[in-house]
Amino acid sequence: MINTIAYGLTIGGILYIISIGLSLTFGTMKIVNFAHGLIYAIGAYLLITLLPIARNNFILGAVLAVLAVVPISYLIERFIVRRLYGVSIDYAIIATYAVVLIGVDLIKWIWGASPIPLSDPVGIDVAFLGITLPLYRVIIIIMAIVIFIGLSIFFKKTMVGKIVTAALEDKDAVRSLGINVDKYFAYIFVMGSCLAALGGVLYAPITSVHPYMGSMVLLLSFAVVLVGGLCNIKGTFVSAFALGMVMSVTGRLWGPAAETMVFVVMGIVLIFKPGEV
Amino acid sequence: MMSLFKTGTGRSFIDIAIIAAGFMVLLPILGINRSTDFIIFCIYVLGFNILYGFMGRLSFGHMLYLGTGAYAITLFSEYISQNPLLAILAGICAGALIGVIIGPVIVRTSGAAFALINLAFNQVGYFLVLVAFSKYTGGEDGMSVHFSKMGFLDFGQKPVMFGFTLLCLLLTYYLLKKFTSSPYGILIKSIKENETRVKFLGYNTFNYKWITFIISTSVAAFAGALSILNYGYVTPSFIDPSRAVEVIFAALIGGSGSLVGSIIGGVLYMAMSNYLASYISRWEMFLGIALLICVFRFRSGIWGFVADKLKIRAAA
Repeated sequence: MINTIAYGLTIGGILYIISIGLSLTFGTMKIVNFAHGLIYAIGAYLLITLLPIARNNFILGAVLAVLAVVPISYLIERFIVRRLYGVSIDYAIIATYAVVLIGVDLIKWIWGASPIPLSDPVGIDVAFLGITLPLYRVIIIIMAIVIFIGLSIFFKKTMVGKIVTAALEDKDAVRSLGINVDKYFAYIFVMGSCLAALGGVLYAPITSVHPYMGSMVLLLSFAVVLVGGLCNIKGTFVSAFALGMVMSVTGRLWGPAAETMVFVVMGIVLIFKPGEV
Repeated sequence: MMSLFKTGTGRSFIDIAIIAAGFMVLLPILGINRSTDFIIFCIYVLGFNILYGFMGRLSFGHMLYLGTGAYAITLFSEYISQNPLLAILAGICAGALIGVIIGPVIVRTSGAAFALINLAFNQVGYFLVLVAFSKYTGGEDGMSVHFSKMGFLDFGQKPVMFGFTLLCLLLTYYLLKKFTSSPYGILIKSIKENETRVKFLGYNTFNYKWITFIISTSVAAFAGALSILNYGYVTPSFIDPSRAVEVIFAALIGGSGSLVGSIIGGVLYMAMSNYLASYISRWEMFLGIALLICVFRFRSGIWGFVADKLKIRAAA
């Protein structure tokens, strides 16, 4: 039972790290970024490539992989997403989906289509309340909480965070103060992409790495964002862990239904959520 | 006398004649199997385009409705009756039924949430077919379907199948043409432009959106049922959510918001996926780049472009 809870918390932590970027991109740019799942997959693949360079030091490899995503996500922002401001949201979905098609094909071209396994980088189990748990999973849960606190401070205390929070309320008013809002939105986009890559890097040792790994995670993150409320940092945090628990409890009762149950919960929440979504 | 030809009905008969002639020309080029495939896909695109092109709601999980039709006709022929026409009717009814049931949840949303909630439902449907009810649906392996002969209507024979699907396409086109040029059709186009204003005019937009959604799911299910009738075999690929992009691409390249555009887009997409895929090894990348070009440079699609050049009224 405690094992199931711990598993749910791990998945919740990963989901939070990935979906916060999605939520921010949607809130700031009003764009549904399908390429988010691609960045997640690229993060995991870069880790595989960079691990030998980093002499199998997982932390160094992870940091390098996340940093390597910065130019990639900047290119996507500069040439695709920035052209989509103000056009119909359907075109944004289709264009970012096209980026996914191109990116997945590039991944297959560079790294091959077959799944690549990665081993647990820590490999130590911790005994806790009478159960043993891989230390790696504990680290993931702690990292998710640290990122949540860090982002809360970032949006309350720093100048960039304050500008973005204000622009979420009223973009034109912030622009009329002489602030280049799009520049700050680009920062947020790159930051969200880095978090997605971090999610990929952290989750890669638990699952196998394959070109389509992003699509299911992306769907789950969308569910998290829709349940938690768009661009609601606290709501995303709560809904990520809640849906993570849904997944692990369902997975314990009936394995194949784990991911589907998340969408059922999402449907129920959307039915009872008041007003237009 | 002249005014008779200017009404919507007169024009649509000319359109129908042109579409029928077009497929007759394609028949010797493509061969009969492929032509039937193309026609069925065009029906699917028409159903999708009612929702996307006319009402402005992008569904990212339209495979669910195609798959509903496909599995409904399969289960009907397996357990109830092997009469092909009744089975097709069962497929359409199943599509309408799923629209009635999940419609109220789905049409409340718009924009991104609409696309994603369709995708989520599609994922649930895929799971139900693949795992939960695999005892009845054959799971990953799928199952073969048999239909009885009905006099001269023997769907095992390819020319009969081709003629029948072509008739189905023309009928669907005619009905949707009637539908979209009616005041009702104008209303759903207004919902696409500005839903709030339509509400101000006193219309209950929810009901209109719901009915349009049901029509779209029924037509998609019709296409699904026809493809099972054609192949005689059903697999989970008929409900696979990762294939959702096919119909979006077809609608976009042909010209969303136009019925003729849907058919042109459907034929073009099928031609590309059938022929280009065997020449271009990086097919997915090609598709992605083509989609980007469509979104950034070519938003009205091929039919929109042609209609603009020829100064034809693109609306319809």
